[in-house]
Amino acid sequence: MIISLKDGLKLFGIIIVAFCAVFVCTFFLNFYMDAVEIKDTVTEAQQPLYDAQLATARFTSAISGGFLGLIAIVMVVFYIKLYVDGHMRQLGILKAMGWSNQKIAFRFWVFGLSIFIGTALGFGAGHIAMPFIYEGLTIDTLDIDIHFHAILLIMLVFVPTIIYSLFACGYAYFALRRPVNDMLKGRVEKKLKRRKEKPAKDSKERSFLVETCFKTLGSKKLLAFFVAFACFCFSAMVQMGASMKQLSTETMGLMILVIGIVLAVTTMFMAVTSLVKNNVKTVSMMKVFGYSMKECALSVFGGYVPFAFLGFVVGTGYQYGLLSLMVNIVYKDVAAVPDYNFNVPVFFITLACFIVLYTAVMAVYAFKLNKVSVKEVMLEN
Amino acid sequence: MIKAENIIKTYNGGAVEVLKGVSLDIKEGEKIVILGASGSGKSTLLSVLSGLERVDGGKVFYDDKDLSTMTEKELTEFRRNTVGFIFQQYYLLPHLNVENNVKMGADLIGNKDFREIIKAVGLENKLKNKPAELSGGEQQRVCIARALAKNPKILFLDEPTGALDEKTGREVLDYIIKSQGERGFTMVMVTHNLNIAETADTVIKMNSGVITEVYHNASPKTAFEIGW
Ligand SMILES: Nc1ncnc2c1ncn2[C@@H]1O[C@H](COP(=O)(O)OP(=O)(O)O)[C@@H](O)[C@H]1O
Ligand SMILES: [Mg+2]
Repeated sequence: MIISLKDGLKLFGIIIVAFCAVFVCTFFLNFYMDAVEIKDTVTEAQQPLYDAQLATARFTSAISGGFLGLIAIVMVVFYIKLYVDGHMRQLGILKAMGWSNQKIAFRFWVFGLSIFIGTALGFGAGHIAMPFIYEGLTIDTLDIDIHFHAILLIMLVFVPTIIYSLFACGYAYFALRRPVNDMLKGRVEKKLKRRKEKPAKDSKERSFLVETCFKTLGSKKLLAFFVAFACFCFSAMVQMGASMKQLSTETMGLMILVIGIVLAVTTMFMAVTSLVKNNVKTVSMMKVFGYSMKECALSVFGGYVPFAFLGFVVGTGYQYGLLSLMVNIVYKDVAAVPDYNFNVPVFFITLACFIVLYTAVMAVYAFKLNKVSVKEVMLEN
Repeated sequence: MIKAENIIKTYNGGAVEVLKGVSLDIKEGEKIVILGASGSGKSTLLSVLSGLERVDGGKVFYDDKDLSTMTEKELTEFRRNTVGFIFQQYYLLPHLNVENNVKMGADLIGNKDFREIIKAVGLENKLKNKPAELSGGEQQRVCIARALAKNPKILFLDEPTGALDEKTGREVLDYIIKSQGERGFTMVMVTHNLNIAETADTVIKMNSGVITEVYHNASPKTAFEIGW
């Protein structure tokens, strides 16, 4: 069978995003549910902090769950698109042999498996981390015991798995609706829009390199989103994690920092890998013609640089807004919480790390591009 | 112009020997056809003569410069300034239109007259079309324009008419031979079509990674005089 279990299991991007989302949601929601049970024992003095902690738990779960859930959907779409495009011919043969779209699309449920693995691991890890989190969220003398809530297991692991599997089948069904003939010939392009290219108003003509930059970007817009998202995660969560040390506990800060870096690295890795894969032919032709490694890398990656910085800037704004909101609104009645101001040194350190890391990743992949053997591309046909 | 001395090329860490000691001498302005069955090592020979790949034994000289001792940068420079390539499968960039595909060659030498070349191959009213909107013959003509736009001193062609029907094949071949006559570049063309060999000055026959025969044509034919 062409869509094997293995295909569904190796979507690391989805596994990690699902893991992070469920990891965070598990202990915060668990804390919320345990804390709600003792609401009668809370004294008046403890009330503001108690309310604030509950609000934080709800708020953080909603934000990380909702946001990462959305990213996971985009990733599922991305992976299925990649899979369908990469297996166009085989899928076309199945259709030619008389398989219906529904029957093929149904096989795509395996893509939901990654969600299951990610959420299950996240749920387990969330329970392991729970004692530390409870300690961090403790309210003076209040004793909040850890209980296991089966409903969370269902809502955070089984329900998402089923929803994402259904979604994968639905999207695959949609993606498979094209003529068998086109699929057999491996015609991947969508219907060519007969849109006339705008006549360039400015007399200055774009060079080939600039043109390929733009067209690479235009042909893979989803990747621009992932690049921006990766940089957003890095910027927002590293800065937030660093500020968290002062606002909350060190464990909390470290946790956010690590999640941010993991998310950023995975997403970036995924985006750039598929970018390289997509441009192997372009790059090998450029090499045949005598373009240098630098020029090849520029034409493939150049268009994404603005999105990387956009992601960084939005991330910076986002974390500032979020922390201000928490400190000034959610915790405004709690005396122990210090003031929060924009952390300028952390911003510059993060920016410096970002630039160094981004350049390093690009250099590694430029090197990878350079390894592309022209002969291998020629042998393909 | 290009001289190969006993070149050996292996793959898979030496397990497969594809070129088993090939020697040849290509003169400036010559039309060479390399003839051989599929799998005999023709494409591999082109890739080492053009500096795309390095040899595992023997030497390749371009005007007395040894390609095998060149750095990666020098090889890139060599390809940029000297070599043009045309493939059977076109390898046009699918998301760029005709004009921009040709620019890929033209920009390398700052050639601003590339539209003249597009006109010369008869595609002046398809400037804004993508490769997928062109027929096979038209795509191959874009490839010719792309290669000629960088004004190569040697043009390598790997089965340029292999994917075309007879009529378009002849037209494309005719255009290639004509441009060679006008511009005087050296031309090395690989094919398994025996008839095409009659258009060459020199024919090199290959079999299983060795040259089995070299002969000269006293009066090379045009693309419309040969059989197909
Ligand atoms: N990069 C490579 N790796 C492994 N084997 C190769 C490679 N390139 C060519 N070969 C082998 O070398 C032989 C000759 O290939 P090629 O030069 O493409 O022949 P031709 O162009 O005459 O058909 C073939 O058997 C092919 O499988
Ligand atoms: Mg070949």
